[in-house]
Amino acid sequence: MTLLLLGLALGALAAAAAALPVHLRVPVSCLLVAGACVLAFLGAVAELRSGHVSTAHTAALLPMNGIELRLDPLAALFIATTAFVGFAAAIYSIGYAHGPLRSRTAVVSFALFVTSLLCVPAASSVATLLFAWEMMAVTSLLLLLAEHRRRAQALDAARWYGAMTQAGAAAILLGLLLLAAHSGGQDFTAIRAHAPSISIPIRSIAFVLVLLGFASKAGAVPLHVWLPRAHPEAPSPVSALMSGAMVSLGIYGIIRVGGDLLDGGVLWWWLVVLALGVVSALYGALHATASSDLKRLLAYSTIDSMGLVLIGVGAAGALRTTGHPHAATLSMVAALFFVVAHASFKGCLFLAAGAAERATGTRDLDRLGGLARPMAATTVLFCVAALAVIALPPFSGFAGEWLLLQGLLHGFSDTSTATVIALLVGVVALALAAGLTAVAFVKALGIGFLGRPRTQGAAEAREVAPTMRLAMGILALPCLLLGLVPGLVIPMVARAANAGFALPSASPVVPGAGLDLSGFNGAIEPALLAIAIVAGLGAIWMTLRVVANRATRRAEAWGSGREVQTARMQYTATAFGEPLQRVFTDVLRPDNDLEVTHAAESRFYTQAVTYSNRVDDAVERSLYRPVISALAWWGTVARRAQNGSVHRYLAFSFVALVIVLVVLA
Amino acid sequence: MRPRSAIRSLFATPATEPAPKPDEADSDGRFRGSLQLRHVDAGSCNGCELEITSAFAPTYDAGRYGARLVASPRHADGLLVTGVVTRNMDGPLRKTLDAVPEPRVVVACGDCAVSGGAFADGYGVASRLSDVIAADVEIPGCPPHPAAITEALRGLTGR
Repeated sequence: MTLLLLGLALGALAAAAAALPVHLRVPVSCLLVAGACVLAFLGAVAELRSGHVSTAHTAALLPMNGIELRLDPLAALFIATTAFVGFAAAIYSIGYAHGPLRSRTAVVSFALFVTSLLCVPAASSVATLLFAWEMMAVTSLLLLLAEHRRRAQALDAARWYGAMTQAGAAAILLGLLLLAAHSGGQDFTAIRAHAPSISIPIRSIAFVLVLLGFASKAGAVPLHVWLPRAHPEAPSPVSALMSGAMVSLGIYGIIRVGGDLLDGGVLWWWLVVLALGVVSALYGALHATASSDLKRLLAYSTIDSMGLVLIGVGAAGALRTTGHPHAATLSMVAALFFVVAHASFKGCLFLAAGAAERATGTRDLDRLGGLARPMAATTVLFCVAALAVIALPPFSGFAGEWLLLQGLLHGFSDTSTATVIALLVGVVALALAAGLTAVAFVKALGIGFLGRPRTQGAAEAREVAPTMRLAMGILALPCLLLGLVPGLVIPMVARAANAGFALPSASPVVPGAGLDLSGFNGAIEPALLAIAIVAGLGAIWMTLRVVANRATRRAEAWGSGREVQTARMQYTATAFGEPLQRVFTDVLRPDNDLEVTHAAESRFYTQAVTYSNRVDDAVERSLYRPVISALAWWGTVARRAQNGSVHRYLAFSFVALVIVLVVLA
Repeated sequence: MRPRSAIRSLFATPATEPAPKPDEADSDGRFRGSLQLRHVDAGSCNGCELEITSAFAPTYDAGRYGARLVASPRHADGLLVTGVVTRNMDGPLRKTLDAVPEPRVVVACGDCAVSGGAFADGYGVASRLSDVIAADVEIPGCPPHPAAITEALRGLTGR
């Protein structure tokens, strides 16, 4: 706990470093933030290893009840994960920040954003949680706006993000206040103690409100609309933090309130969570295959990954309420392991996407390509993280999805029909989402990084600053390490799962390097699997060397014999995603436009043919647009009352006064 | 042909002609049993194309001897070239040839491809096929008979 508090203090100091002159400001502040993250990480890991719970209280810092912090294994796991991503993002920022990102506002916001991310899981009262939560929202909003002068879309993204995050915070506030009102105290200990005596309907209303807020932060469909806008427009270290840390705090909130404070609750809560997860996983994965903007693709992939985590959390909750604590622990461990794995691989992917954007000036996959040679390190690290996200052994995503599947499949012993059906749907969604994710990332790597440069910008790409490469390397390391030796973190994850859900203390995974389930029939040794894969690939390579010992002849890429061939004629991301887009037309609802301009002389001569293909968010179009246009209509109507004349406003006040007097009298 | 009785057809040998001797171009039998060809029309009057179609259609069915037409030179063992080499097809022919992996075979189909034929001195003719590459197998005729095409291909596949 002391280390965490020191870390938070160092984070505040990093914000103060913005007062330094401009060339010192960024490195000093970023190094202080990195230091803060190291301290918080060490503190959290020490707590996770020992399993102690420590608290801190100060009345001086915040009005009303002051700040209350409590570090239990669940909070410690999320703090450690956040700190890890925060450390890498801070290192990355040293090389990345220039222009508007070196302004005082941006530097202060970045330091406070990381600090508040570290603070949220430790908060143990409604006021502290909401304070940290709001600080996180406001600072990330400011960071999103940092580059708004350069990109007009940033403003639009910020509007969506601001509206969604504030609505979410309001829902969380309402839900938690409802609980606080019924338990006579706003700190979590009081709520936890009184929760069993609160009636089920009240608890359910509170949970649904809190779920709305946290699920929108976690990017669950249909509350995800801010995510594919904000993630691409934010500066890359901030996107990495948003996706790797902030989004998973939504998951943390659901577990903390639903599992810990409200002690599991009722079955349907968790079936709702599971359903949200299924929809998000499929919707996110589908849109990822259809996106041709690299960071937008990653944002949708985040929705997909969080969907998988929600499936795990939902399954754990459902199994726990139906009396299968051991199976519930397995699902919970799987979900939390996936959160940890996701933080590293998605963080790394966002940083690599930022590097590619910085080097080429574009995020459009159809304008990238040919980065493997000039940006070898970035490409390799992107590839490692992409292999982790598409869950291939021996990378971390594989261990995560293997655990998730085991958790779902071993829940089938449950007798409740609803749960079994839900778990089955979860398994199917997991399988489909995994396949779609593979398509999306083959596209991102193959089109975006390999091949030949499609534009001048891509051809002139140079490798990015060493600090940026170092940061990507730091995040890529766990992708491989957690995949090879998942046993390294499983005991800590299991402790967090037990703390969050008040589950039995026995870990569902036997301690050891690999994954060996205790109490269930299932084991896998990723390290041995990796050795087998490497040996197999080596054998193939050796055989080819021996058998196919012929001279290589290099020939031009085959382009149907056409005389003039340019790099623009390569396979594009849009074309790669098109078949799937066609299969899932009903879900994606793409806008296809074919416009033929005829020559002036005759309609039989075509002058130009323009084809455009856009895949907008169907949920946004059918669910949010009507609300927005209704609000806009109300705005124009209400504007008629406002003509700027003082006389009219005085008349309004007078009428209001009369009405009040009449009503009161 | 008079229909054979069921008993006799049980013991009869296949109703095909015996396989021709392996062609000299393929004396080491590289393409024995299977030959994938990419057809290039280098400026033909389409007479040869009709006969090629016919050679691969059910009557002659060159496919049953292991020869096959494929859609890309990257999938092919060789080229089946028809026509004189016109100016517009000179470049694409060379590119297609370059795209066929080695070892490869070039079959010149029809008089135009073999020697220039009727169009040898045409204003749009860039060169002869022999200026681009020496054909391994030549099928003379204007147009060649489908049976001749089939036989030439059987010389390569050895079936």
